[in-house]
This record gives sequence, structure tokens and C-alpha cells, in this order.
Amino acid sequence: MAEESSKRRRSIFDLIDEYFENLEAWAERVRETIMERPSWNCRTCTVEPLRDIMVTSNEVIVTVDLPYAEQNTIQVKPVSSDTIEISAKMRRKVSFDDFGITHYRGEFQRFHCQTRIPVPVYMDRMEIRFKRGILEIRLPRKHEYEIPIE
Amino acid sequence: MNEEIKIIERKEIPKGAIMLFGFPDVGLVGVIAASHMISELGLEEVAYMDSRLLPPIIVLHEGLPHSPVRIFGNQNVLLAVSETALQGELIYPIMHSLIDWGRGKGVKMMISISGIPVQDRQDLEELKVFAAASSPEMLKIAQDKGIEILREGYMVGPQAVMLQYCSTLGLPALTLLAQCFFNYPDPEAAAKALEQLANVTGVKVDVSKLLEKGEEIRLKARDMMKRTQQELTKMRKTQEYDIPLYIS
Repeated sequence: MAEESSKRRRSIFDLIDEYFENLEAWAERVRETIMERPSWNCRTCTVEPLRDIMVTSNEVIVTVDLPYAEQNTIQVKPVSSDTIEISAKMRRKVSFDDFGITHYRGEFQRFHCQTRIPVPVYMDRMEIRFKRGILEIRLPRKHEYEIPIE
Repeated sequence: MNEEIKIIERKEIPKGAIMLFGFPDVGLVGVIAASHMISELGLEEVAYMDSRLLPPIIVLHEGLPHSPVRIFGNQNVLLAVSETALQGELIYPIMHSLIDWGRGKGVKMMISISGIPVQDRQDLEELKVFAAASSPEMLKIAQDKGIEILREGYMVGPQAVMLQYCSTLGLPALTLLAQCFFNYPDPEAAAKALEQLANVTGVKVDVSKLLEKGEEIRLKARDMMKRTQQELTKMRKTQEYDIPLYIS
């Protein structure tokens, strides 16, 4: 009986589950590879901030942690239909020395990053606020088509 | 004691201390709180963890190697802290070894300091600290001190393993969870957790410098937060947002 069940063909649902598990594992590996880089750039004297993206039913909310950022220097620019560029000047220069690191040299006074928005949005209707050192960018979602329910 | 993990003692360990845990988790609340405690109370390294299970990492301080998992202390407090994000599969053996070791030293209570993520953290003016405990008696201690109990829900990470294992062993244990950011280092939450720690244990730590240096800490902790975030994703930490279906 056990042998019979082990020989049983897998259902389409098992195959779909397996496909999505593999896809998830692959995406995880790609994500890790992309994230494996220093968060400091000595050539451009910039620091890459921590950020997060949340997709809700009607908007995409991007938050960015910007400690020491000067509020009036924060810039958020769409660079394509699905990518925004964020930059901000810090109130003070930060060097590796400040953190007790002596084997690297470099000073940083700017945050800079680019973030891809995972679903279509209206870039021109972006809303921005800055509170507690966290930048919040809200982008209304574009629902390009809807499937009617019969 | 797990034979693959050794705890090497560097100093005499006091009997009957309170053992605290500050491990990388949401908002790095535990690590930030632990780091502040070490400098404010002048805690010294009393022991460290040596294991091939740990990633091949050492932490250099003044050019000398240190284990990423160390125990600091004085006569009243033992504080276990990790300076690196821990992979999910290491949490069971590490926590069990630390708890077994603490039990052998006659620790009278174990307290884990951590965070509980809230989506509207940016708008919260006053942060709450919640508690969960290993026994009804410990829950009552927290309640009597005015700390709200985390009644229903999931807990993921070192504090979850600690509570379960201490409950099994009959050791008094408490987890203090300050409302915090999920993905961003949160010194304010760490300060709140330390205030409640003082409330429960009498171990007072001045948090004014922690709050003053908040921005510096957030900048400095970015890399550790990023690594921790990767491990939390693998650990399915977002399950803490889930509503449990209890089977009674």
C-alpha cells in the first residue's frame, strides 16, 4: 500500500507548490546577492539608508531611515516609471573614525539610494512626509485593468 | 549542556544573579539596550561562547579577537549579548546552552529584552512595553508592576525559545517587548525596555545618553539591522503579526 502511494503521481497542486517554493528560494538567493555590498560608498561619500516597501490595495508606502538628515535637503525624484531616487544631506559629517574604524578612510555627509517600486504607481501624485527621522513616501497605485466578477 | 557549544568563563561568576538576554531582533531593541547597559553599568566580559555551530566570525576590539556571543556581568547581573545576527537554526542550541549555563550558576531569574513591531510606530508618541512569562507567578510579577501582558499571539526568535525552555525547566523567566520599528534600529524602544527592566528588577540604568545618541546609534546600527532583517525574514518573523487559531 505504502509502495503504491509512493508511486502515485503528484497532483497539479503539488507541482504548483513546488514551482512556487523553488521560485521563492531563487528570489531569496538573488535578493541576498544584491544586498551583499557595503552600505557606504567612499567614492561618492554617500551612505545607503535602510528602507522598506509596503504594498497595500491602493498605494505603495516606501519608508527610509534618515538619521541626521536635514529636512530641507531631502529629495525624492522619479528616475523611471518604476524607480525613485532618494537623497538627503546630513547635519554633520560622519567618518569611519567616529565609529572606531581606523582601517578605512572616508567621510560621509549624504544619504543616497534608488528604490524600485514593485507595482505600477502614479509618480506625479507622490506624497511625502518626514517624521522622527523617517521619510515616508506614499504613491497611489495604478490599477490598469480590472477583471469583472460575474 | 549542548556538547557542541562551550561557554568559557573568564572571571568568577556570581551566584544568584539575574540573567538578561539582548539578541538581534526587530528594531535591534535588545542589542541596543544591552550595549547601553554595558557602558552605563560598566559591565565586564565574564564569559564567552565557543562553538563550531557559530558562523566563522570574530569581533575585533582594540585588535583582539572576541566571540560574537559573550556574557557580561557584575555581582548582580549577567547579560548575554550577540554582536552578530544569528541564523534561525542556531537559536535553539545557543539559547539552550546559555540557559543551562545560567541555571548551573544559580541564576534567580532570566529576562529577555526585545521588541514588538508596530506598523504605526512613526506616529506613536508613547511606547508601550509588553511582557510574557514562563509561569503564572512571573506574569503576576509583571502585572503587579503595571506592565501589560501580551495575552495572545505568536512569538518568534530567541525570546520565544527562552520562555519555552525556562517554562519546561521551571525557571522564572520574563520577556519584555517594547513597541518598535520592525526594520529600523530603535533606541527609543530600547530606552523604554530598560525603564521597565528597572521597574521589574530594580536594576536602574540611566537612559538619557541613549536617547541623546539616538541618531548616532541608528546610523551605526544600519549594517547589523540589515543582516538581522535577512535572518528575520528566513525565520518568518512576520508571523508575529498573525492572529493565532487556538486549539483548546
